[in-house]
Amino acid sequence: MKRLSLLALLLLLTAITIPAQNNLTGLQIMEKVYNRPTGNDMEANLTMILISSSGNERVREIKQYIKDFGDVEKKIMFFIKPADVRNTSFMNWSYDDPNKDDDQWIYLPALKKVKRISSDSKGDYFMGSDFTYDDLGDRKPNEDTHKILREEKLNGEDCYVIESIPKDEDYMYSKTVTWIVKDKWIGLKKEFYDEDGEYLKTLNIKDYKNIKGYWIITGTEMDNVQKNHKTIMKLSNVKIDIGIPANKFTERMMKRGLK
Amino acid sequence: MKTLKFHNLIVLIILGLFSTTNYAQDLSLTGYARNYTGLLINGDNNFSIIQNTFNLNIEQRKDIVAYKVNPYMYQYANRELELGLREVYLDIYLNSIDIRIGKQQIIWGKADGVFITDIVSPKDLREFLLPDFDEIRMGVNAIKADYYIGDNTFELVWIPTFTPTLYPDASSIWQLKPDFPVNPTFDYSKVDVEQSFKNSEIFGKFSMLTSLIDLEIMGAYAWDDDPTMHAFKQIDPATHTLTGLKIVPEHHRLTIGGGSFSTTVGPFVFRGEGAYYNGKGFNTTDPKVQDGVVEKDYLHYLLGTDFTVWDINTSIQFIQQRILDYNDFINTDEVQNMATFLAATDYLNETLHLRFFMYYDFENSASLIRPTITYDVADGFTALLGANIFTGTEGMFGRFNNNDMIYTKIKYSF
Repeated sequence: MKRLSLLALLLLLTAITIPAQNNLTGLQIMEKVYNRPTGNDMEANLTMILISSSGNERVREIKQYIKDFGDVEKKIMFFIKPADVRNTSFMNWSYDDPNKDDDQWIYLPALKKVKRISSDSKGDYFMGSDFTYDDLGDRKPNEDTHKILREEKLNGEDCYVIESIPKDEDYMYSKTVTWIVKDKWIGLKKEFYDEDGEYLKTLNIKDYKNIKGYWIITGTEMDNVQKNHKTIMKLSNVKIDIGIPANKFTERMMKRGLK
Repeated sequence: MKTLKFHNLIVLIILGLFSTTNYAQDLSLTGYARNYTGLLINGDNNFSIIQNTFNLNIEQRKDIVAYKVNPYMYQYANRELELGLREVYLDIYLNSIDIRIGKQQIIWGKADGVFITDIVSPKDLREFLLPDFDEIRMGVNAIKADYYIGDNTFELVWIPTFTPTLYPDASSIWQLKPDFPVNPTFDYSKVDVEQSFKNSEIFGKFSMLTSLIDLEIMGAYAWDDDPTMHAFKQIDPATHTLTGLKIVPEHHRLTIGGGSFSTTVGPFVFRGEGAYYNGKGFNTTDPKVQDGVVEKDYLHYLLGTDFTVWDINTSIQFIQQRILDYNDFINTDEVQNMATFLAATDYLNETLHLRFFMYYDFENSASLIRPTITYDVADGFTALLGANIFTGTEGMFGRFNNNDMIYTKIKYSF
């Protein structure tokens, strides 16, 4: 029994200290996830269902457009639901340069004005959901230290299990643990631990599709166990590489909205 | 009357273009119903306002043409029913040019809650600065053309007919009581600006939105939305004492140039806005000036910053107005300083919103403090409890120190 335990411990240590079988490091795996090709541009509808501890549901609907311009990725979102935020739009320019902060603007139809906002608050929750801006993919791999914990099967898929610890000690998560599907480079599951190291929430990928040769996540669920609050996120009407014009990502379109 | 005809023409064009049912499915009907009840804290606890509002946005697009009609209705407990069209316009979308024709709100500048280069749409001040900003700004009949080159925009606005600021009537608690040495008589014969081509207004703006900075540069040849109060004194020749005063309100032409910027430095957004007004009328006590008005140039500018601290979105603005070539006869202070402060945060997955906004008038040590708490009862259904507290005794805020109020707004958006 003791020999078996020792063997198990050795196996565990091996998984922690030795790179994966194809010599990828934790950082390289997370970079593969971050840089997973998703096409040059994408148009999609995003629906979020926010479910409170009492089972009360709130629905947010967004139309979003994303385009890769090489050194900058531009994203524009038009809010459709709830009705009191309809025609609000949000634009984000994210740069490959890790030293350059994102540029962000919001258009508020009541003010009829495009306002520049700081992208410093990526830890803020997005539209009252359980996703922060970072959770939605804005966090760059070099902001964390990554370590391969082990390799295991999840939902029938071979996965790397990666522990990521933020370099910034004041970051809202003390660590995350992610199950990455080998070869597809999709994070199938992610556990988040709060600043005190307590288990906070879990992201589960419910659905992903191969569209035009790209793996696109179309269904996720974030379950916050501390707040007993849940967010279901669905991507629909996904269109990839349709040649979205560059002028879609301008102040002109923020003001015009979906008209 | 001419304004009504202009509205009717636009509505007819819109109905003609889109009357077929083929496009009915593209029709967007949005808006809100709202109850707004305010109670004065001082005195007999009178209701300052009981207002029920219905606001509808009708929008549709076909190819390169779109339209919007925004009818609204205010029903009051103690005032006549008010019906109107806040906006009614046609949009024409060309390759690099957008043209908007009709009654529209046009908002410029980077300042929040302060009007410096934001002078295209006049203000409805019947409820002072308390309504939501989309209700304070009035639509103007205009033709607006925007020409786009990349992230740069050239905008030209032509307003054929002048619309002045709307002020509260004499019975309103928001009427500014003029301070005259004797009881004046008013002569309104010059207050209207004749609706003719030569009296039209023109505004131009260049704006750019870049990674480094957002910039606006503007110019205008317009009318002062606020009338200048020409004061003609009647002096008893025997005693040389003031026996009467005739006030003649009149709007004057202004030439305005200005600009604004917004940029990000780390977690801070820095904003600035300034304008130079040429030929603004100020009241004077100079005995050599017969009508009690001198024209002076003046500057109005602002610096502000937005940042987040402990999950509280914070905004601070400092505003200064400065009359140039000043003399001591002018009734208005040479320099007026004001600041605004905003702190806002959310709880319960952004369903509970706390907000604190304050204007502070340094010259009069007076302020308007506006705390609110809003709860999203359900999607699109909100309940707001707020207060408007005026401190001080003088200046644009202090003079309303008897108008402290608490209020509720129950709103359903659809």
